[in-house]
Amino acid sequence: MSSYTITPGSVGRQAREWVPAIAVFVLAIAVWQGAIAAFHIQQFLLPKPTAIVSAFWDQRHTLWPAGWYTFKEALGGFALGSLGGIAAATLIGRFRALGNALMPIAIAANAIPIIAFAPIFNAWFDPLSPNSKMAIAGVLCFFPVMVNTLRGLTSVSPRQIELMRSYAASDLTIWRRVRFPTALPFIFTALKVASVLAMIGAVVGEYFGGSYDALGVLIRSKAQILDFQTAWAGILVASLLGIALYLAVALTERAVVRWAPENRPS
Amino acid sequence: MSTTVSFARRGLSVVAVLAVIVGFYELYHWVWASTGWTHPFIVDDTSMPHIWVILHALWQPAQVNQPALGTILFHKSLFTAKEAAVGFALGAVIGFALGIILAHSRLLQRGFLPYIVASQTIPILAIAPMVVVWVNPKLPAGLQGWGSVAVIAAYLTFFPVTINTLRGLQSADPGALDLMRTYAASRWTVLWKLRVPSSMPYVFAALRIAATASVVGAIIGELPSGLQSGLGGAILNFNQYYSIEPQELWATNIVAALLGITFFVAVVAAEKLVVRRAPENIA
Repeated sequence: MSSYTITPGSVGRQAREWVPAIAVFVLAIAVWQGAIAAFHIQQFLLPKPTAIVSAFWDQRHTLWPAGWYTFKEALGGFALGSLGGIAAATLIGRFRALGNALMPIAIAANAIPIIAFAPIFNAWFDPLSPNSKMAIAGVLCFFPVMVNTLRGLTSVSPRQIELMRSYAASDLTIWRRVRFPTALPFIFTALKVASVLAMIGAVVGEYFGGSYDALGVLIRSKAQILDFQTAWAGILVASLLGIALYLAVALTERAVVRWAPENRPS
Repeated sequence: MSTTVSFARRGLSVVAVLAVIVGFYELYHWVWASTGWTHPFIVDDTSMPHIWVILHALWQPAQVNQPALGTILFHKSLFTAKEAAVGFALGAVIGFALGIILAHSRLLQRGFLPYIVASQTIPILAIAPMVVVWVNPKLPAGLQGWGSVAVIAAYLTFFPVTINTLRGLQSADPGALDLMRTYAASRWTVLWKLRVPSSMPYVFAALRIAATASVVGAIIGELPSGLQSGLGGAILNFNQYYSIEPQELWATNIVAALLGITFFVAVVAAEKLVVRRAPENIA
């Protein structure tokens, strides 16, 4: 709670929290740049940070629209998969017999390398349309969200449910007031995982064929013509967008799940 | 006696689950194909080949004068399993070591943890070609090709292990920690006798995730590296002939799924041996 209300003191403390991370960043970039100069590493293997940044800036008019195109696919898949996962978990949590029957399937599905199915999704939905990438990103997001939501919904203490029942609360009320709030930290943990998976799913889906407007296609074609500076700049765009989505989820969590202690299990 | 019964029951439930999945698949195929519904996608024998067609493809040679597709895919999955297993071992050891190092210093955690998290937002498929070009020349002859794919698998494996090792080491009971201190136990003793054992359920939870991640990493790593001996190469290859023979890509994907499940089950079995009295539901 107190960490959310920003006072001048906490800003100073937060800044100090980030000092080591910034120091590591500066050091790593310096070592990277220095090592390439010192050991004469070929530019096409690992370009200098400065070269990547200049490609990032020079090509910004192609990189960012491509990144935005892929980001929209990831966002669509993230929304579809997460909502589907929460809905499925709600249903399974409500009907235990159904849950017991479906759980082995969910566990097995979770152990499957789903990304291997990307070409089939491309065949189902037009490979040039964003729908196929949304579908693969959505399926990637679905399982972790469903499994964690279910774990959250079933982690409610029986005494709380009993108390609610003694007040003659309906199932819907119990869900709204007890189960869902209890599950929220679990759901957000899964949403953070899903936010990263969505972007990766979209980029990987594009590897098997996609629109020329897409970032995955751009990275692949630039790497093929050995323009590794632009390829790395594209990777930088993909990572930045993935981090942005992750941070958006994390900030929403801080705003929504205010009651949870800072170091809750996640 | 009772173990054989529960074993038989488990086997039966697996068969039942498989039957339900196959039933739903064929039902969906039948309903969508017979009504001509086109949403969300057109269902025909190309987009959703019949299960028996897929299974039959496993017994047929994919090309003339070649062994059956099933035999070929079995050998390819062994190759991919080798990459994934080496990557898994590498990633697990690195991840565990990183977790132990980070657990000992708040300063290191603040310095490195954000980048360990950020490292997973990099689309691994995109950097795989660079990793292959970069790592391959440095490998001895026996590791050429597949060694660099194992590195990519390790990259996906180490992350959950690091995060959960760190959390597990910090989960040691404070009372037990105090007790160790009153006996003037060294940091090393506390680590090995208390912190590491109490981290085990967390570590294995991570290893279960990592088992699948290593298979994903191996398959993805093969795509840009041009390796033809593994499942990733087979997926890329059969993807090109999908419009003519979709059942071959489906068969390959089913084998890939089985490989992922095998890795998962292997870790769960190892966990049962190591963590005898772990609480059931640790995230």
